[in-house]
Amino acid sequence: MKLSKIAALLMLPVLALTLAACSAPKGDAKDATSGDAQIAELVAQKPSSAEEAAKLYQQLLQKENEIFASDNALWEKVFLAANKDTPMIEDGKNYGDFLLDTIEGAKDQFAADELKTLKAGAQQVKEIEDKLMALEKEFPGCGSTPGEGESVDASTAGMTNGESGETKFPSFKGKDLDGNDVNSDELFSKNKVTVMNFWFTTCKPCVGELGDLEKLNKELAEKGGQVVGVNSFTLDGNKDEVADAKDVLSKKGVTYKNIWFKSDSEAGKFTSNLYSFPTTYVIDQNGNIVGEPIMGGINSAEQREALNKLIDQALAKSEQ
Amino acid sequence: MIQAAATLATNIHLPNFAKGGIYQGAGKAVCVPGLNCYSCPAASGACPIGSFQSVVGSSKFSFSYYVTGTLILIGVLLGRFVCGFLCPFGWLQELLHKIPSKKLSTKKLKPLTYIKYAVLLFAVVLLPVLVVNDVGMGDPFFCKYICPQGVLEGAIPLSIMNVGIRSALGKLFTWKLAILIAVAVLSVLFYRPFCKWICPLGAFYALMNKVSLLGIQVDHCKCVSCGKCARVCQMDVDVTRTPNHAECIRCGKCVGACPVDAISFRYGLGVTGDKPAQSTQACENK
Amino acid sequence: MFKAIKPVAQVALLIVGVAMVGFGIMRGEADAVLAKAIRLCLECIGIG
Repeated sequence: MKLSKIAALLMLPVLALTLAACSAPKGDAKDATSGDAQIAELVAQKPSSAEEAAKLYQQLLQKENEIFASDNALWEKVFLAANKDTPMIEDGKNYGDFLLDTIEGAKDQFAADELKTLKAGAQQVKEIEDKLMALEKEFPGCGSTPGEGESVDASTAGMTNGESGETKFPSFKGKDLDGNDVNSDELFSKNKVTVMNFWFTTCKPCVGELGDLEKLNKELAEKGGQVVGVNSFTLDGNKDEVADAKDVLSKKGVTYKNIWFKSDSEAGKFTSNLYSFPTTYVIDQNGNIVGEPIMGGINSAEQREALNKLIDQALAKSEQ
Repeated sequence: MIQAAATLATNIHLPNFAKGGIYQGAGKAVCVPGLNCYSCPAASGACPIGSFQSVVGSSKFSFSYYVTGTLILIGVLLGRFVCGFLCPFGWLQELLHKIPSKKLSTKKLKPLTYIKYAVLLFAVVLLPVLVVNDVGMGDPFFCKYICPQGVLEGAIPLSIMNVGIRSALGKLFTWKLAILIAVAVLSVLFYRPFCKWICPLGAFYALMNKVSLLGIQVDHCKCVSCGKCARVCQMDVDVTRTPNHAECIRCGKCVGACPVDAISFRYGLGVTGDKPAQSTQACENK
Repeated sequence: MFKAIKPVAQVALLIVGVAMVGFGIMRGEADAVLAKAIRLCLECIGIG
């Protein structure tokens, strides 16, 4: 008797926890101080080869994203402010400077200590960006994607918990549904932002949002971006599944590319580890995943907002 | 208790709770007998109700032979024994009912027991097939709008562990959570309200109770009509008259309560509910 | 009368049940179930 009472009582706080946890964003401050020292170290490094430069580049980028991730909510406010006031950053301008300007322009939105955190973060970003630019000058091309198979997955499920830094989408070589070859490096680098939508043929909400995604594709085309679909049933190019997928896509009037790759490739495993659909990733020009994946349809207002924020983030990064 | 073991067997992949993922192996093609959502991280198989809806909701099929056949088999072999002993959600309601409170009787609420058949017919069978989008796909109406088990086993554990899912929670989740809480509260006050009034799986097995190989037999030679069995029965079944009534979940409380051991479980073909009272001579021959 | 045909009905249902399961698997329904079961369709379980 007693055991069941305890079990039942335990369930109530769990329920309460969930309600509370519903909308609380995760803010990790633990990396804040140790990050400073690490950044200084990285900035001081002098790589001797293109390979080392590329590695250092990636590490610096990761640190930069850790800065954003550790105070996610604050930085989102900054990005929002950027969209309204400051113009898109021009060529040659340091992203860190851009952030500092934006923060200055929006400083009424923040409390004193928030401003301190943001300004400190922006300063670090500025240092990182300086170093990145120097690296690019010395070793041109070190900022683009490394070779296949060297990609880093944040977690096996491809879903990070906001703690790790930036992750690269695994490189792949695949085909689109019409049989044309597709290479991930080309795919991402040709566009300032790629919105990758994962779906499967018998998932009703996935199919339901295809129309919205097509509209988004047209909007993004004007900004130099694209939407790319990955139907997890079509991995390995299964002919029947490809035919079914094409059927659905044409019924929904979808014109953007849908691709597949081998299920045993890094990208294939990444996709197979996704278990929740639809899932949408935003990828910038360098093949890095921006922010957290959006789960569920993008037709709800909050998810659409989150998606737009990520897209703007990616566009801003790709402007460098 | 058998119920604990059944719940564990149905949800064997416990580490997934910590990982925030779900089991993705081939075992998931097989239906489990009770109401257990396949979105539960630990779930070992697929929920029959959910599976049925997903098959008929797809543009390719409008009826599922596989799932219905499985349900028929389970129904004939076990009937509502599943409800009584193998369904995790049934067990949950019993646990909640043990919480001390004023207990209300459902005897006068018997008409409510017909609701579950409507739920089965409409939410599970008809709506997913008939209400489709432009590509011929239907929503799993029961799973999406009604089932509290999916919230408890799937939505809540996954959103605790996974930021992406947590940010996807919306109005639908709020509605389902309200249903879950309502069912939980009702379970404290009433005995197994979901099983009695709402569960479409229970409705199906209830229909099969009369043809199930597992039955309850009342020996009228021994029966002294004391009425203890009916009083002890929390599903409001009049045991001596209808031991294989659709509402009986085979919990066996009546068997234990009978002072003259006239009630027993019987397994086999052609098990009749009771020995006809006409054969009083047959009684004396014993 | 029902009592007399009951065993017949039970056996009949057992056979029908097995047949339906087999037929369903052949139709590819078991694969459909598996495909849905290992991929969470969020709306389907009442999220979002």
